[in-house]
Amino acid sequence: MRFALVGNPSVGKSLIFNQLTGLGVEVSNYPGTTVELQRGNTCFQREMVELVDLPGVYSLDGESDEETLVREFLEQQDTDAVIVVTNVTRLERNLYLLLQVAEYGIPMVVVLNMADEAVKQGLEIDPGPIRDLLGVDVILTAAAQGKNIDRIIPAALAATRPAKVEIPYDHHIEAAVRSLGKMYGADRMKSIQALQGIGESPELLEAARTIADEIESRHRMTAAQIIAANRHNFAHRIADLTLKEDVMVPRSDLDGILTRVFPGIPILLGILVGMLLLVFIVGTFLEEMIVELFDVFAVQPFLALGLPPLAEELGISILLALQAGFGIAFPYVLLFYIVISVLEDSGYMTRAAFLADNAMHRVGMHGGAVIPLTLAFGCNVPAIMSVRLLHSRRERIIASFLVTMVPCSARTVIIAGIVAGFVGLGAAFSVYAIVFGLILVTGLFLSRVAPGERFGMIMEMVPLRRPDPRLVMRKAWSRLSEFLFIAMPLLLVGSVVLGLLGFFGIMTIFEEIVEPYTMALLGLPGYSATALIFGILRKEMAFETLAILAGTADLGAVLSSLQLYIFAVVTVLFVPCLATITVLLREVGSRITLAITLYTVALGLLVGALLFYILG
Amino acid sequence: MLPSAFEDYLEAILMITEDGRRPATLAEIAAALGTGAEVARTTIAALAEEGYLEHVSGDAVRLTTKGSAVASRVARKHRVLQCFLTEMLGVDADAASKEACTLEHGISDETIDRLSSYMDGAEPARGRMGRCCGRNACTLLDCKEGDTVRVAMIRGPRRNRRLVDLGIFPGEVVQIRRKLPNKSVVVRAKGCDIGISPEIAASIVVESCP
Repeated sequence: MRFALVGNPSVGKSLIFNQLTGLGVEVSNYPGTTVELQRGNTCFQREMVELVDLPGVYSLDGESDEETLVREFLEQQDTDAVIVVTNVTRLERNLYLLLQVAEYGIPMVVVLNMADEAVKQGLEIDPGPIRDLLGVDVILTAAAQGKNIDRIIPAALAATRPAKVEIPYDHHIEAAVRSLGKMYGADRMKSIQALQGIGESPELLEAARTIADEIESRHRMTAAQIIAANRHNFAHRIADLTLKEDVMVPRSDLDGILTRVFPGIPILLGILVGMLLLVFIVGTFLEEMIVELFDVFAVQPFLALGLPPLAEELGISILLALQAGFGIAFPYVLLFYIVISVLEDSGYMTRAAFLADNAMHRVGMHGGAVIPLTLAFGCNVPAIMSVRLLHSRRERIIASFLVTMVPCSARTVIIAGIVAGFVGLGAAFSVYAIVFGLILVTGLFLSRVAPGERFGMIMEMVPLRRPDPRLVMRKAWSRLSEFLFIAMPLLLVGSVVLGLLGFFGIMTIFEEIVEPYTMALLGLPGYSATALIFGILRKEMAFETLAILAGTADLGAVLSSLQLYIFAVVTVLFVPCLATITVLLREVGSRITLAITLYTVALGLLVGALLFYILG
Repeated sequence: MLPSAFEDYLEAILMITEDGRRPATLAEIAAALGTGAEVARTTIAALAEEGYLEHVSGDAVRLTTKGSAVASRVARKHRVLQCFLTEMLGVDADAASKEACTLEHGISDETIDRLSSYMDGAEPARGRMGRCCGRNACTLLDCKEGDTVRVAMIRGPRRNRRLVDLGIFPGEVVQIRRKLPNKSVVVRAKGCDIGISPEIAASIVVESCP
């Protein structure tokens, strides 16, 4: 048996899915976070039931990835029943989708979720009209309390009759449906879809388009708009029958302060800065602790073993990779995702996106991008993992470019340790100025050339609610394990390759080859190139490696101020770290990752060369 | 009543200043009307003397409240006439604009009102779409916070499919919940709050609710 969950975004669908399957699936308030299909199994009376959590959508007739996916899934009909989850406090809008699903004529169960909140708002719910009209079982639930969730699977197993509904469409649309049916044998639903330009048969689409144009010229509304309006009106009637308002309870309206310029923007800035400081301070503290623990309990005992050189090199490379991976995973990825899950599940994320929308538009993204961009200051890795908050591939690509350029805490160590320490505070700030300028220019440039259509924001402000701590932890944990399982192996391989290159003296040969070039281009000695390359593993290592290769921690004694400054600028811009590259591969694919890597290398070398040329 | 040339000046200045938000320079006015700078200077001076215009700086002028009222009335007449000519009679858009320029000075306010309400109930000429409809057309961007309005039309409906799915479609009554200085808006439709970018809000034509 297989059942699918369908519903609007943030109606508690993922929460119900989690409670039914007990599997680690993320729940989120942000429209479109569950883009991938989530599958899980549950047992009911010794029968295996497979559940599919489809992404949250507002309609089945749109062109977004999520809508197409849900539509195709329903068309294949390889589900025994659909479970439509609705937020009963926003019933009318939810019914719009419900009616569309009902038109597919698949056995169906309707879940009216958030019944507890509806009662608090003074609504009285009568499930009778929906049950009678569609011929389906209706269950009132409160997923946050787990109320009535156990009734869903039995109801779905019992649902064998297909849902039936006849939405009364405008008479022109009805006439079109009849004639398309007569001419091409298309059923009611296929004809309605064809009138909106959806379908596979070219003849049917062509005929439907002619009729739709005719309807459009008569009504001054497109056929799709008329169909949608008819559905909305029908949904309105059903909602009126289902809900009775007992007493009008005034809704508390936090949006009065959250979405205004004042105090909304100060609050937004406060939250962003607070979040950054938390990740930065606690993250750095934890990271240092983990690195220290590794040094004392793993690296030093290992070196004390006195293994043959090759084995020692291999072992050290693996230990360094583990150190770098865990040093990022627990302090940054876990912490970051706890913070971001709270923001998402509370519904604040959509407010932040709304306030930042206009500013982010200039660099080609929608308001949600403010979150990854801010958090990138803490660590690029979780910031890249969160670019999936953005809807279109275009936005994800732009965000990935910009995020990898943001100076993370490790790069801050370089700026602080090398530039502020040996050159001066003003110089340190100028590094930031250079980087921010380049980020802005890159954003402006990419927003012009990146492929794909620009979409403005049309975003539901999801209701504000208290996030569930268990769900927040579960989601943060799933992201963490994702990082450990996907990024760690790559990190290990990369580290071992770098270690072997060093061991077989290829690094030394490399240094000799590049020395004339680095001297001519950047005015830097050859060993600085090695330091740069080790910086790929972990950015702070560029600093450490440079000190080791220079033979002294007092870098000011062996390198001039200009050389140190150029080294820092190049390191900060030059290639994201290996961990960032591995998550980039997963989020945006190998081509874009390669493009980002090449771009940052080129940018680092170019800016370094320019500085050397101008200042040298 | 002003001579038609004067009305043309005020209308042109209204167009240049984008509803009085910035001053118009002599060169811009002369270019818009296709006259010489000297002629324009004399006419502007006369209009300023009558209290329709005020000098801002150099040769730049701005409409006074009085001038703005006349200009808006003429501009509306132009829109209604142009709409009538193109939509109802199927006249070519350029020709309609030229003809509307001549007719707008002679036609009475009452006739314009009646023509406008006549067009609301009538069907357009065949093969023409309700494209112009510039009569008093205001969009979500022109609304204030707290306004309740009815959606009249959505421009570029195919691009903005999601609006319809979220319950913002022609005929629906929505409330403007929030409008930021950067023109992003939040509207309440079907009991849900929807955040909308300025460029999309500008494509939603609305009319005030009775």
